[in-house]
Amino acid sequence: MKLLNVFLATSALTMFATAANAVDLEFYFPVAVGGAAAGTIQSLTEDYMAANPGVKIDAIYTGSYADTTTKAITAVRGGNAPQLIISLSTDMYTFIDEDMIVAWDNYVTADEQKNWIGGFYPAFMANSQTEGKTWGIPFQRSTPVLYWNKEAFAAAGLDPEKGPANWAEMVEMGKKLTVKDASGNVTQWGVHIPSSGFPSWLWTGIVAGNGGLLADDTGKNVTFNSDAAVGALESLVKLSATDGVMAPGILDWGGTPKAFFEGQAAMIWTTTGNLTNVRTNAPFDFGVGFLPGLTQNGAPTGGGNFYLLKGSTDEELQAAADFVKWATAPEQAAKWTIATGYVAPRPDVWETETMKDYVKGFPQALVARDQLDYAVAELSTFEGPKVTQLLNSALESAITGQKPAKEALDGAQAEADAILSAYR
Amino acid sequence: MIGETTFDRILIRGGGALLALIWIAPLAYAVWAAFHPPAFEARFELMAPLTLDNFASAWSQAPFARYFLNTIVLVTMILSAQLVLCTLAAFAFARLEFPGKTFLFTLILMQLLVMPDILLVENYKTMRALGLVDTIIAIGLPYFASGFAIFLLRQTFMTIPKELDEAARVEGCSLLGLLWRVYVPLGKPAMLAFGLVSVSHHWNNFLWPLIITNSVETRPLTVGLSIFATTDSGTEWAVINAATLMTSAPLLLGFLLFQRQFVQSFMRAGIK
Repeated sequence: MKLLNVFLATSALTMFATAANAVDLEFYFPVAVGGAAAGTIQSLTEDYMAANPGVKIDAIYTGSYADTTTKAITAVRGGNAPQLIISLSTDMYTFIDEDMIVAWDNYVTADEQKNWIGGFYPAFMANSQTEGKTWGIPFQRSTPVLYWNKEAFAAAGLDPEKGPANWAEMVEMGKKLTVKDASGNVTQWGVHIPSSGFPSWLWTGIVAGNGGLLADDTGKNVTFNSDAAVGALESLVKLSATDGVMAPGILDWGGTPKAFFEGQAAMIWTTTGNLTNVRTNAPFDFGVGFLPGLTQNGAPTGGGNFYLLKGSTDEELQAAADFVKWATAPEQAAKWTIATGYVAPRPDVWETETMKDYVKGFPQALVARDQLDYAVAELSTFEGPKVTQLLNSALESAITGQKPAKEALDGAQAEADAILSAYR
Repeated sequence: MIGETTFDRILIRGGGALLALIWIAPLAYAVWAAFHPPAFEARFELMAPLTLDNFASAWSQAPFARYFLNTIVLVTMILSAQLVLCTLAAFAFARLEFPGKTFLFTLILMQLLVMPDILLVENYKTMRALGLVDTIIAIGLPYFASGFAIFLLRQTFMTIPKELDEAARVEGCSLLGLLWRVYVPLGKPAMLAFGLVSVSHHWNNFLWPLIITNSVETRPLTVGLSIFATTDSGTEWAVINAATLMTSAPLLLGFLLFQRQFVQSFMRAGIK
């Protein structure tokens, strides 16, 4: 009897002790830049666990962004939510709508609110905050830039050290860079702006470069058919139709770097997530510059944020938040940026010795950072996937010449209004 | 009946060859891209250098050996459970009389109409209640009682002549003995056909395994393949094709080796 009592008491004590000391966390993460990145995340969590023995983090690789979102929503509805996920910054309104995330504000001190949350680039926070609360913490964030082939520039008699400063220059240079063979077939196009899959992303940048925005920060209003947008779409269509500097039709996103490496296009628009890829595989010197704007500089941000999910105890969520504070601290963020090419999300990361050494050998990495001053939020609204799809279809129908720019965008605007009016 | 003219024959053979060509084209491209350096992804030169680097690179990006093991365990488990459960159920529906038979059979047919994706959340809840999240059993369990297998085997069993059944009973064969000695041997072509459909479906299934599993020890090949879906950087076609060939090779080989049997059983079972 006595023995049993002792046993019960000890096991109760042990249970209490474990509950007080060890926190088990689950963390879903997608990878969109190739296999090695998953290893980097694993090693980051292992470093953290080694330094914090009370916390156990199970970092679970969950495929693409879309797969991660599906898995997270299923787990939340199934009552088994992970504490932490990385998902697209544009999923913020969807997650709020699903009532599945909690704001970070409850898990930070006043000082951290100012110095940690306040320490990210405002361009990245635009997709992470709404209605005065912070819902996402920027982590694997990117922005598109223009890459140019210096050899092709030299061959066309252009200054290889100077990329186009604006749209008009891009068209002028593009005309010189477009090379035809004896039978009149183009062997090298001047510029390649991919339009397959998710054209809305680069599109946000083109419109921003024409002084327009696609949506406001409430997620309930879009301005797809503004004058800036219609003008921008007409200019984009003209690149193939009359300027003759870009291949006609829908251009593949995934094949863009390949087209650049193989000399099929002398300038490409693609994400900074490709920097490491281009640096390793381009058989020539290349330059990186801002997206050439129609009237001003402009670019979207993109990529993934950390989110805290509902359904766990405050203690667990606090532990998850503490992990994120560590992971976004300068040393760790620098490691992540160098491994993947994502843009370091805080100015202080660029001040670390690791980053300084990195950009010394690779100054192209700085372009993305400097462009952040002109960056706008990626298109993000309630019912995000549906609304974005409307825009994508409109863009595709204009690019393929099925509809004039204005008609296509007016149609998308009307359909988006019909969906979003429910939230106003 | 109109006789087949030479012209018809050319048309039929030509059409067949064309279809075969369209069918083989992606596979041929996969083989080309997988065995050549990335520079030759879109350039077809006869003398392009051959390489196995793409396979090495694909193999090193995910623990494929473990994923192979998991997938093989998974499809074997699902197929054996399906064959046992569905043969028993199909026999009962084909030859036994019991109250509510038609109603129950209708319920099972309903299963064919429901898309499995709709049940993701409900299945997840069930697995969680059973404490099976992140196990290989959890990937297979929702598929054990296959409505399609029950339906297919019941139809097959009903075509087996009653006389054989009665003769065996007269000889004193028990119910299970009857099933084992008469129905199973005669139902083999249908089972083989279903086996192929089931194995290839579960070999390729992606979403449910991704959702219900969390660790390398339980995840199948398809989840390993998804690591090559790199939208933020460029697509490495050479490596993707190497990985695809690698993961589909066992199925392809199996089909090539047993294709005569498969084709025959499909003809007999009447499914395509």
